[in-house]
Amino acid sequence: MINIQVWHYDGRNANKWQPQLFGDSHGFRLIGDGWEAGPYSWADLQALDNAGSDRVFGHQYEPGWRIGFAGEIPADVAALLPQRQRYGGFIDRIGLWRASAVLACVAALVVFIGVKAPGWIAPFVPQSWEDNMGDAMVGDFGGRYCHTKDGDAALKALTAKLDPEGHARSIEVANIRMVNAIALPGRRIIIFTDLIEKAESPDEVAGVLGHELGHVEHRDTLTAMMRQLGLSVILGGMDGTGGSQINALLGLSFSREAEHQADLTALDKMKAANISPTGTAAFFRRMDKSLWGTSEDGKGKKAEDKVQGEQIRDLTSWFASHPSSKSRYELFENAAVKGHEYAPALTPAQWDALRGMCVDDRDVKSDFGFGF
Amino acid sequence: MDTPDQAGGAFGFDGTWREYAPIAFTNLLLTIVTLGIYRFWATTRSRRYLWSRTRFIDDRLEWTGTGKELFLGFLMVLLILGLPFLFLQFGVQALAMRGMGGMAAILGVAAFVVIFYFGGVARFRALRYRLGRTYWHGIRGGSNDNGFGYGISYMWKNLVGMMAFYLLVPWAMISLWNERWNKMSFGPHLFECDAKVAPVFKRFLLFYLAPFLILIMMFFVAGAVGGFFGGIGVRTSYPPAIAVLVMVVAVIGIYVLLGLIALAYYSAFLREGIGSLRLAGLKFDFEANTDDWLKLFFGDVLLVVCTLGIGLIFLQYRHWKFFITHMEAYGEIDLDELTQSTTTLSKHGEGLLDALDVGAF
Repeated sequence: MINIQVWHYDGRNANKWQPQLFGDSHGFRLIGDGWEAGPYSWADLQALDNAGSDRVFGHQYEPGWRIGFAGEIPADVAALLPQRQRYGGFIDRIGLWRASAVLACVAALVVFIGVKAPGWIAPFVPQSWEDNMGDAMVGDFGGRYCHTKDGDAALKALTAKLDPEGHARSIEVANIRMVNAIALPGRRIIIFTDLIEKAESPDEVAGVLGHELGHVEHRDTLTAMMRQLGLSVILGGMDGTGGSQINALLGLSFSREAEHQADLTALDKMKAANISPTGTAAFFRRMDKSLWGTSEDGKGKKAEDKVQGEQIRDLTSWFASHPSSKSRYELFENAAVKGHEYAPALTPAQWDALRGMCVDDRDVKSDFGFGF
Repeated sequence: MDTPDQAGGAFGFDGTWREYAPIAFTNLLLTIVTLGIYRFWATTRSRRYLWSRTRFIDDRLEWTGTGKELFLGFLMVLLILGLPFLFLQFGVQALAMRGMGGMAAILGVAAFVVIFYFGGVARFRALRYRLGRTYWHGIRGGSNDNGFGYGISYMWKNLVGMMAFYLLVPWAMISLWNERWNKMSFGPHLFECDAKVAPVFKRFLLFYLAPFLILIMMFFVAGAVGGFFGGIGVRTSYPPAIAVLVMVVAVIGIYVLLGLIALAYYSAFLREGIGSLRLAGLKFDFEANTDDWLKLFFGDVLLVVCTLGIGLIFLQYRHWKFFITHMEAYGEIDLDELTQSTTTLSKHGEGLLDALDVGAF
């Protein structure tokens, strides 16, 4: 038989009662001065935070109901009372350190899968889904595609050489003054007009186009979008900045791998089309210099003849997002077979038509205010 | 009958950082290994400790919120706000790509308005949640209002506040404070709050000194490093190292100064806000003056800098202790009449507030 003094809140008003607790191993009643409450089951009690040195318990079905034990609790009563939760759930059951180790392994696995899964899943996403999504996102690019009769023919000729199987649904030149080219979702490639302007031969444009075709064939754009989405959900639990920084880092390391694969595809395509890779290598080297100065280590001074506006524009260039390292230049330079007779990617007349496309197209919208 | 006239005032805090440290460090560890998901349970553990070391009149507070409900709240917001915004983001991008900048801008503004509205609702519901999970003598607080109306007030009052060179901001803040507290209750009693704008307005005017201070700083900078200032060429004979030093001090000075003005205003605001708060026979007061706030602020900075950031996990403790030690209450409360609250309890925590990242007080 248990008989012990407790303090008690009944959860109905704020009075503190001082009843006796009478009970046995199954349950108990509270008997105060002229009142009695219960029966209560030990199993319904919940251990709460101590109030000073007092042990406090609540009742899982009665909000605000409390009993408190001042001083030592006799062993027979203590055995009937529940334990207090410390960290919560299974962590209390297996211990803090073991739980941390298990959780760390799970976290590492989740991040690993988050990084890798898009690459595994992307090939199984129906191409039509990606195409529809790409169309919804891009549309007609705000009427900024340049079209002339001869220019279109030249672009078609270049496409036929590099992409004879027609992996890309559309390849367009856009009237946007950036040295850039992008592979958009839905197998679309856009070359920005300044890239063609800065190139000295059609072979150079062919190299960049081949690279973007590599992204289209590997479905890199879809993979990157899925990864970004997935990671932002996984790391959403993390506090804002930390999560997004990790996110950006992971994105970067992934895209390096994809970039290299795209370079290899570009080389394959150029070889098949009998286009020399030396032009592209020279383009890399030239743009590298104009971006980071003359030294090879990339830390050299900025080219002095550049006006500031042009430098800012370069930050949005293809060569800024595709770091043009020495190894990359060498990859293209060494791919050239010495003494081999290469054919130019376009005839001089076609090349002129391609270069003049955006100037000659009277209907094209200007890039002014384009919100990138 | 209970009267707060006890030694040490109506509010007391007897926690120690030695007791809190194991909680804070294990919270940090578990938050890291769960990629942040444990933070809901971490918040709950911290609060349970802080509340249980807080005395009001003759007994302690008790925090009964759970990590699970905070987590559910977070998931709910992710679903209700996060998903639509994901689509909206794609939509705005698509419109911009098609050159429909106007439509994109309208969508963007609409998104901003929605976020703004829910920011207000979130503040209301966070306070309601905290009162609903706080027990004293087995009795809790809450509100019968869901806060959706408050969201509307929050929008228009803040907009009006920003008109006329932000002169009405103190009015907006005080009026929203009153509106929010007047809908809260503890037990059967409604809170009453009638804070006035006049006591905080003078402090707010300090903000308007800032541009002049910045101008003076710029003058010092120009004097130190040379250059043109208001059409007058200023030359300097200082060595470059000193010139740079002066510039850095001046720029940091501007930020610190703005921070101090904000602190001075906030201290007046809370004194007025809490000082105008009543519950049944009780009247509350908050006695922290600007000096106290300065000590708290620079203490925070020192703690975080000296521990290379680890001190961040102790800020919640410091702020709660600061808050409680400066709280005061007068009058009496009838324990027989303080019956259980009949307000509805939401099953989810502060997810909205959490997602929109705004403070409750």
